[in-house]
Amino acid sequence: MSNRSKGWGIAVAACVGVWLVQNGSADVTPPVPSAAQAFAAGPSVHTDAAADPLPPSAPVRLRIPETDVDAPVTGLGLAADGSLEVPPAGDRNLAGWYEGGTAPGAKGTAIVAGHVDNAEGPAVFYTLGALKKGHRIEVDREDGRTAVFTVDAVEVYENDAFPDDKVYAEADRAEIRVITCGGGFSKKNGYQGNVVAFGHLIGVRGPAS
Amino acid sequence: MRTTARLLTGTALTVAALGAFAVPAAHAGEEWNDSGGRHETLEIYPSSASPGTTVTVNTLACGKNGRGVGDANALGAGEFHLKPSTHKEIVVGQFTVPQHARAGTYGISVACDNGKTARGDLTVTHRRPSGHVQTGVGGSVGPDTAQVAAGAAVLAAAAVGGALLLRRRASGARGH
Repeated sequence: MSNRSKGWGIAVAACVGVWLVQNGSADVTPPVPSAAQAFAAGPSVHTDAAADPLPPSAPVRLRIPETDVDAPVTGLGLAADGSLEVPPAGDRNLAGWYEGGTAPGAKGTAIVAGHVDNAEGPAVFYTLGALKKGHRIEVDREDGRTAVFTVDAVEVYENDAFPDDKVYAEADRAEIRVITCGGGFSKKNGYQGNVVAFGHLIGVRGPAS
Repeated sequence: MRTTARLLTGTALTVAALGAFAVPAAHAGEEWNDSGGRHETLEIYPSSASPGTTVTVNTLACGKNGRGVGDANALGAGEFHLKPSTHKEIVVGQFTVPQHARAGTYGISVACDNGKTARGDLTVTHRRPSGHVQTGVGGSVGPDTAQVAAGAAVLAAAAVGGALLLRRRASGARGH
């Protein structure tokens, strides 16, 4: 190899190095769902039929196999301002369920929330925004059954334009919502919105009654 | 005579009707409990409440200037005391629906100091949440340290390579 081509190689390597340092120095934020995952983009190719709702039973564990989520579930109430409480921030692998509402798998809208991150780093629902239509959400329940949901959409909302009815209203089949923070981050104001995954029950595993 | 007969018939019917309703009327506000004793009515207001709501109960069961102890353990609110209200024949007590009480109907009972008991039902309902959740502080936001380290390594290698090349070129220039 000539010295001239060696020189070019070194110059290119230097450029790549500069690009890597520069690009890597920019802040990495949690994944944001694409427009294709919104309800407005239409239903997923494989829309599974809704399964018959189960009787109520509290959730104990939640899994999202595609994004390696596997976390215990704790109960949540409401804060004084009517917003949903969140799980303790110290535990990075913990999901919360609104225990005043519908149980996952029962008829209605089960509400689950968890942290996208805490002060130490990514938390249980860091990858929620990477979820896609047709992915599975599995919830183990106290009665030994596992409620299997399919993702209908993943949407992102600005904090001050959160659609309460769309997210929290009771459905007439067994549905689930999984909520976390997202949608842009600023050091001053924190996360500017919420990512919400919508799903409906398509199957049940575990002991029959 | 006819008028009298009609009056008598009417009176008889009235007496019969009173007789028929007299027994249940005397027991109005009571129901049989499991041990064969009677529960008297416990008024609960509101009868349907959400967590955080203060619930007021009152009953005539404890008698004038009576006292009683209420049992709201079914929904996790513990015991509470009942004292005479401004109407001295009615005792009143209060408890708060705990935040984590599940939706459903719960029996609330009161044991009076006079030995009587009263019972009523409270339905716990939940509001649905409103607004967004606060589930992140940004601890995952930051530079991609692995990428920065890789870039730095590539830069260092390029610098070393460049230095070697320049030295070789300089020595080559002296050699020829």
